[in-house]
Amino acid sequence: MSEEIILKADELRFSYDDDNTHSLNGLSLEIKKGQKVAVMGANGSGKSTFFLCCTGILKPQSGKLFFHGKELTYGKKDLLDLRSKVGIVFQDPDNQLFCASVYQEISFGPLNLGISEEKVRKEVEDMIERLEITPFRHKPTHALSGGQKKQVSIADILVMHPEIIILDEPAAALDPRHTVMVNHIVNQMTKDGITVLMATHDVNYAYEWADEVILFESGKVLMQGSPRQVFSDKEILKKTNLEPPMVLEFFESLCRKGILDDSLPAPKNLRTLETYIEEIKN
Amino acid sequence: MITIDKLCYHSGLRYENAGEKFAFAVVTLMICVMSRSMAVAAVVLAVMGGLTVWKGKIPLIRYLRFLTVPLAFLVLSTAAIMFNISKTPLDLFAVSLGEWYLTAGSHSFFYALQLIFTALAAVSCLYFLSFTTPMPDILEVLRKLHCPKLLIEMMLLIYRFIFILLDTASAISTSQDCRLGNRNYRTALRSFGMLGSVLMIRAVNRSNRLYDAMETRCYDGTIRVLSESHPPKRKVVALIIGFELLLFAFALWRRFFS
Repeated sequence: MSEEIILKADELRFSYDDDNTHSLNGLSLEIKKGQKVAVMGANGSGKSTFFLCCTGILKPQSGKLFFHGKELTYGKKDLLDLRSKVGIVFQDPDNQLFCASVYQEISFGPLNLGISEEKVRKEVEDMIERLEITPFRHKPTHALSGGQKKQVSIADILVMHPEIIILDEPAAALDPRHTVMVNHIVNQMTKDGITVLMATHDVNYAYEWADEVILFESGKVLMQGSPRQVFSDKEILKKTNLEPPMVLEFFESLCRKGILDDSLPAPKNLRTLETYIEEIKN
Repeated sequence: MITIDKLCYHSGLRYENAGEKFAFAVVTLMICVMSRSMAVAAVVLAVMGGLTVWKGKIPLIRYLRFLTVPLAFLVLSTAAIMFNISKTPLDLFAVSLGEWYLTAGSHSFFYALQLIFTALAAVSCLYFLSFTTPMPDILEVLRKLHCPKLLIEMMLLIYRFIFILLDTASAISTSQDCRLGNRNYRTALRSFGMLGSVLMIRAVNRSNRLYDAMETRCYDGTIRVLSESHPPKRKVVALIIGFELLLFAFALWRRFFS
């Protein structure tokens, strides 16, 4: 994995109204290229505000944002350049989808990038195929289910081929089938070399999926590290009202009881833990 | 309106070229209105109704019910032309009301009847378009006809957000019902007022969010989208032209030679 830093925030401060409550309160972090980053934290801890800063929609009152090591100047060309490379999939698809037709909706982004019509048509078709939108491609947006809208809103962004994709709680209000589908799509993005930032409240998923976990608390980064580091830190978890992931908790408990050897690498999922236990028997 | 929208997405003619359908409906409408003939109107009504129900697979009962919507207005507004109240009876019939007569002349009676038929036929043309062609397709045709961009963009957004507004309103209203917000006239009035104000705030909020979301996708002030096109079929175009010519000839004949 390359260690190139793709996005860097330095002491960002932002407040929606100019009083003393800051949504971002000196937030600094670095995101490495190609990584899967889980952004966690309570509601109102500044995740969504930070995401909007990442595409220059919100301009922080102080602090700097670096993309590929270059400072964002908030000039028009600079902003368009940033937005063509950083895409956000919003939590509520109804805030994102503005066309009544799925095809039109997906074609909006790439046309804005100035890609030729012919190429856009091909890209849109590809995306409809890839994200399994075909069965409902001719339905109007307002007749789609929540999960289908989510698929379209991801296609919207993916079709622009960004370098970073930010997903704001993609699994919120989705049924299990669509959650699995979204997770599958996200894994595909990583394979294609896209850096993925995902806001989530699901510790078990974040633990298994992420390369790196960032904990937000009142507009600041409380901790950034590998899932193992972050989720083993009882103090920190208590502070953010998060439960440790079940697999990790169970593994540590088995280690404490001397059933498993704690020199084993921490299991990422139940299956690994299962094999560990099977191996004791043999 | 919502029913029409639902039906048109399932219409059998949905995937025909929108330009064909648009031209067919509009040209027929114009011939029908300009001919001022009951016979032409009857032909148009039959053809449009037949196509919408048979080819478009719209349930007949539904279609007839939709036709009765303008019918009520038409009958009420033409009643004034049809009937007179005067002291001298006219040629068609007269009902004596003391010194006065409720009476109708055959000329004005048939004129009113012709108006009703023409108006219904015109409505059937528009119904044909709206029962077979989803809004985005109609917008695409308007765009090709060089309708102002701003207007089209507004229609596009309004069409999409009507549904979100209705959804939000019905959700709020349900939650008001659950808390007895409509138990009597007083509370109902209050609830309705609150619904209005909350809806306004939500709408503003949503528009801001939408704008943000569009900006993240490099929105620069013009909405550019591509539509799926269904290429026009030669046979259909020929049929439409043939029908319009025949209808036009028929209208001319009715007007000048009969």
